[in-house]
Amino acid sequence: MSTTICKRSLFFILGYFLLTAFSVSAQQADAENCNLCHGLALFGIATPSDGLRSFEVTSEAYKHSTHRNVICRDCHTDINAFPHPEEVKKVECSKACHISKPFALTGYSHVQQAEAHAISAHGSNPEYSDEKNAAHPDCKYCHSNSFRNEIKDEVLEKSSQHCLRCHEGEGLAGVILHVSSHSGHRTAEASVKVVKLCSSCHADQSRMKQFDVNLTQVAGYERQFHGKALKRGLDEVANCMDCHRNHLILPADDPNSSINRNNIQQTCSSNGSCHTNATAKFAVAAIHSEPTTQNNPIIFFVEWGFIILTAGTMALLFAHILLDFGRWVGDTWMRRKEK
Amino acid sequence: MSQDYTRFSVNQRLQHIFMFVPFIILVLTGFPIKFPESQFWSVVMSAAGGIDKARVIHRFAAGIMILDFSFHILYVFYNLIKKRPSLSEMHLLPTKRDGQNIIQNLKYFLFLSDERPRFHKFSYIEKFDYWAVFWGMFIMAGSGLVLWFPVQVSTFLPGIVIQIAYVAHSDEAMLALLAIIIWHFYNVHFNPRIWPANKVWFKGTLTEEEMEYEHPLELEEIKAKKETL
Repeated sequence: MSTTICKRSLFFILGYFLLTAFSVSAQQADAENCNLCHGLALFGIATPSDGLRSFEVTSEAYKHSTHRNVICRDCHTDINAFPHPEEVKKVECSKACHISKPFALTGYSHVQQAEAHAISAHGSNPEYSDEKNAAHPDCKYCHSNSFRNEIKDEVLEKSSQHCLRCHEGEGLAGVILHVSSHSGHRTAEASVKVVKLCSSCHADQSRMKQFDVNLTQVAGYERQFHGKALKRGLDEVANCMDCHRNHLILPADDPNSSINRNNIQQTCSSNGSCHTNATAKFAVAAIHSEPTTQNNPIIFFVEWGFIILTAGTMALLFAHILLDFGRWVGDTWMRRKEK
Repeated sequence: MSQDYTRFSVNQRLQHIFMFVPFIILVLTGFPIKFPESQFWSVVMSAAGGIDKARVIHRFAAGIMILDFSFHILYVFYNLIKKRPSLSEMHLLPTKRDGQNIIQNLKYFLFLSDERPRFHKFSYIEKFDYWAVFWGMFIMAGSGLVLWFPVQVSTFLPGIVIQIAYVAHSDEAMLALLAIIIWHFYNVHFNPRIWPANKVWFKGTLTEEEMEYEHPLELEEIKAKKETL
């Protein structure tokens, strides 16, 4: 009895703490009063080169945004004077900002993610030209600057479901930590959006042609069960990131890649709700590519076998039906003529 | 005096019902995943309660269909052992006469002959239906079970089997659906001589006139047997 009371009051205190913590930091985020100007409706400039540029940051939207706890100058580091300099650098996500991780009290930054991205297939490659490297997605390509996107409660709820897929074993404490830390920044996207985001480059021939990347991967995914079931709303199937990771995306021939021959079995079975105890044989099944006579002759010929079998059978059956029907029409016509 | 002739026993009629009811459910819960962008199948999918429920329903219906088919196999073996029929009494087996019947029927269709082929208990049309389901059951149930338990299957079979099962399940489903809608439905519903439906699957009997038209050889044999009694 006393333990339940104890637990309940613990939750109450925890909840109260979270509530106050967020409301305080939300106020702190505009401690430097940027919204005095930037909160004005239609605040912006018109230049001959860029056209209209909006600098409006609605305070209501900002309060509900991913970065609501971060003061503006944590990211816009070179805006130190008023009036602001004409040319400012673009925001870099790996810069350390002045908020701390919930429950950890350590400084927070996206350095870890940026470092993983740098060595991933999406990072800069010294052998590539600048132009080619610029075609790689940077942080902001995938994490669109979302200060105008409000985080709604139902989105949070759905996202925490997504967390539970991996963190089932870590208990409630782990979940609370996870959800509370994620509620501070952008939460896991719905799988459909992940596929859409990755497809925006990987299904685009003009963007992919300079890289040695198989263009059939997106179409191949959509032909397989994961892709089809996802389109029908089955959220638990694997999206791109579930197998390829989020930041440390590496090509299959890299020994550290999650889809390397030696790691793929682990990848298939790693998520609690995915293919638990996946065997090595299970993991080699091609889940993507469009079968050709070269890369997957067995499936290629099975598919064609079925096409020929179906078309051939239907042609014969149709012919039989049409002839049968023709005889009936002829008979009926002759009977009428006799009358 | 015209009399009715039993064509299908209650047991056989129930086997048919326990085959086609799951078949319809399997089509309705499976095809929305085969065609994930089709608006038509979206309506069906939401009627089935979304993909989560549809997957459970699909497997339940599959279980019933597999049980029905297994029962049929046992039923066939039981009858083979009990009645010990001669080859000519196993009416569902394809014979040389089916070939002759096909040629005769084609002649009839093309007005080259006014004589319809005289069928025994099962015409080649019905035999095709039967064996198509037979083949289809092995492909669909086999591949379906592989897809239901892919990890377990991969402990004793190579991974390519899962991929083959995925293709086969989807494509054979299409073949089966087309065969039913085009061939079976024409022969038992849409054929203007039959329209709107051949009710033998429900009643189990044919009238003497129907027997005379559809199964004259069988009728002859029945009558000959009666006379010898």
